[in-house]
Amino acid sequence: MKLSNPVRLAGVIVIALAAFLIAFQPIRLQGSVPVLQAPQPHLNLGLDLQGGSHIVLQAEPTAQTQVTNDSMDGVLKIIRNRVDQLGVAEPAITRQGTNRILVELPGIQNPQRAIDLIGKTALLEFVDTAAVSLPQGTQWKDSTTAVLPDGSAQHVAKNVILTGADLSDAQVQFDQYGRPQVGFTFKSSAAKKFEDYTTKNVGRYLTIVLDNRVISSPVIQSPIPGGKGVIEGGFTLESARDLAVLLRGGALPLPVHVVENRTVGPLLGRDSIDRSLHAGYVAIVMVGLFMALYYRLAGVLADAALGVYTLILFALLTLLGATLTLPGIAGFILSLGVAVDANVIIFEKVKEELRGHKTLRASVATGWSRAVVTIFDSNTTTLIGAAVLLWLGTGPVRGFAVTLILGILTSIFTAIVVTRVFVDLILDTGLAPYIQSLASAGRSAAGAAPVAAGGSAGGAED
Amino acid sequence: MSMATGVGPTGAGAGRVEPARAFDIIGRRRWWYALSLAVIIPGLIALYTHHVRDHHALNWGVDFTGGNSLELQITQPFTVGDVRTLMDRFGLGDAVIQKSGDTEVFIRTRPLTQSQMNGIIDAAKARWTSAAMLREDTVGPEIGAELRNVAILGVAIGLVLQVIFISIRFRSVRFAIAADIALLHDLLVVIGAFALSQREINSSFLAVLLTVAGYSINDTIVIFDRIRENLGLRTREPFEPLVNRSVLEALVRSINTAMTAVLAIGAVYVFGGETIRDVAFGLVVSIITGGYSSIFNASCILVDWHHWSERRGVPAGAGAGAPRRIEPPRDVRAAADGAGPSAAETPAAVSGGTPRPRPDVSRRRRRRRR
Repeated sequence: MKLSNPVRLAGVIVIALAAFLIAFQPIRLQGSVPVLQAPQPHLNLGLDLQGGSHIVLQAEPTAQTQVTNDSMDGVLKIIRNRVDQLGVAEPAITRQGTNRILVELPGIQNPQRAIDLIGKTALLEFVDTAAVSLPQGTQWKDSTTAVLPDGSAQHVAKNVILTGADLSDAQVQFDQYGRPQVGFTFKSSAAKKFEDYTTKNVGRYLTIVLDNRVISSPVIQSPIPGGKGVIEGGFTLESARDLAVLLRGGALPLPVHVVENRTVGPLLGRDSIDRSLHAGYVAIVMVGLFMALYYRLAGVLADAALGVYTLILFALLTLLGATLTLPGIAGFILSLGVAVDANVIIFEKVKEELRGHKTLRASVATGWSRAVVTIFDSNTTTLIGAAVLLWLGTGPVRGFAVTLILGILTSIFTAIVVTRVFVDLILDTGLAPYIQSLASAGRSAAGAAPVAAGGSAGGAED
Repeated sequence: MSMATGVGPTGAGAGRVEPARAFDIIGRRRWWYALSLAVIIPGLIALYTHHVRDHHALNWGVDFTGGNSLELQITQPFTVGDVRTLMDRFGLGDAVIQKSGDTEVFIRTRPLTQSQMNGIIDAAKARWTSAAMLREDTVGPEIGAELRNVAILGVAIGLVLQVIFISIRFRSVRFAIAADIALLHDLLVVIGAFALSQREINSSFLAVLLTVAGYSINDTIVIFDRIRENLGLRTREPFEPLVNRSVLEALVRSINTAMTAVLAIGAVYVFGGETIRDVAFGLVVSIITGGYSSIFNASCILVDWHHWSERRGVPAGAGAGAPRRIEPPRDVRAAADGAGPSAAETPAAVSGGTPRPRPDVSRRRRRRRR
């Protein structure tokens, strides 16, 4: 604080400008040439704002496979493969805890299909059902009992010949009538086995089963050499495509089920952004007006500091790559109201000093230094609460905590440093008496605030 | 607008609030306690009656219970009954169905599989061509239980840490406990408000709870800070008037800050849309009750505690957790000169104390070194 006023003002301007450049990126580098572009926020939007799916899958151990680091990595890899096929712009797939996987799919248009696709175990089995042809939709209850679509149980041994792990490729094809089907190719060792098997079992049924559910149960008409075949099952183009994706990616080593799915349609996301922006503008104007009406010129300076606060907070969120969520926006708007608190505390202390007949400069200096203790103690408790929220919370709630913490720290800085620079500058000018009028803030305003204080705010702009 | 009164360096307001003529907040504390109870008790009754009636004291959302929720937008005319007929076809006639606005419907069911969910969405789209999925949440029961535990754990840890912090900064457990009683009051008010209004409790409610905690304590600290500051100055003033004066001195700040915060979050409540409205509601209630309790409860509790321990004749420093009631204040000026603001804090010495030269009465406050 030993720096001269112009230097400190320059510092504030540099900080504000840097914050603006970071947060709104009005200049973009094209190669090495800077180009101007329309300034707009460059914050990551949470799934609740841009629309998308947040899906948590939980893996269950099977008789054969335990939930281990390795098996979970296997699940993760396969799910990543499947997600890549969905054509989502920036999917995020991460492990969560010991047995969970979090899949985030921003901006996805058809979340139902995505969940169907990534949550399937996709264990394909070629089953020798001897002389029995099973209708599509038959479900194996255990290795000897199949439940037909009409609900009746049938005793059929599940004699697995080959599995999806033996495939090297799967693609959508069309039969002569243009109906979609899935063509597959076996790995070379399996191709030999398949040829041997089909040679020996002409006239019997080879049932194709996905996750214990029968897709089709064709009869083997002739030996099939070359390790190629097709699956027909009354597919639509989309379901054939999905099956091919699943077969190419392979089966999950562990079955998973969806324990959490939060999907926001694109309609709602857009709507939420518009509404929160609207609410944010109204909040800024109301808070700004209140401060200017109540504390007059000092309040206007606090409003200017609030502008700097907004820029810095946006810049920090951008730099940290924080994700803006809907509760996060609520936290941000709330912080606008609370950010001026530090200034309110300071102004109230300056006011007391002035009423104690101190000089203006002495009052400002003492008021500020007394307020620092109060601001530190009161904000630390809020920070403790927010830190706990950050530590324990998930998703959107964490977004709220991050915004709150950064907001508190930034508001302390802007209230103590930035507003002070503005006030000190004014003290050097003929406008100083308008700061002095802090002494009567709230007195005349208490009864007829808008009229009395409005007049002074207007006067301050002269 | 014209230049009106109160402008400029008139010094019109240079006089001070005279404690003798000032409004006696602390003296009316029974009224404030009664007002608090008048707000809290209906909430508790609502909790109880809702619990008796349908075993849901609060309107827990799927985040906590597990289950499915689905929000649809249907721009054609429809009624809740139409939606229930549709759900009946899936054997889900017991679903919670709420219409919000003219075009949105919120459906909450027990846990469903993805294909059941898809079936419902498809059926709705077949029934109403304008139907569009706005939001869909599936929460497994295991997640709900975890979230509940996290909420309880989070609030508990937050409270304990805050008590420790306040105890250290104010060198008195008494301040910490008074602040926490005020906070407990606020939590009860907020929970009661959610019980009365039957607004849904979802994971964002965690954010509301911790905002209550943060704001309520924050606001209380600002007032306690003033009490602490005054305790370090006027050792002869009895405790009760001193607290009253401190509260009055901090009053404007408390009201103004609550005002700006309510203006800001009120804008979210009014304009922010359905999705965020419950959170905004919780935050508005939090700030109002947080502001109220620090003015009208926390400080009053300090005073009552003081009277109570005086009646019991607790000697200075006796008993676990008793603040050092009669402790000669340190030479704050020297301490301040020595090590900056934090070292300048005085212990929470309450009224009485060793006779020492009283500071110039007309200059109420210690002037700290700049």
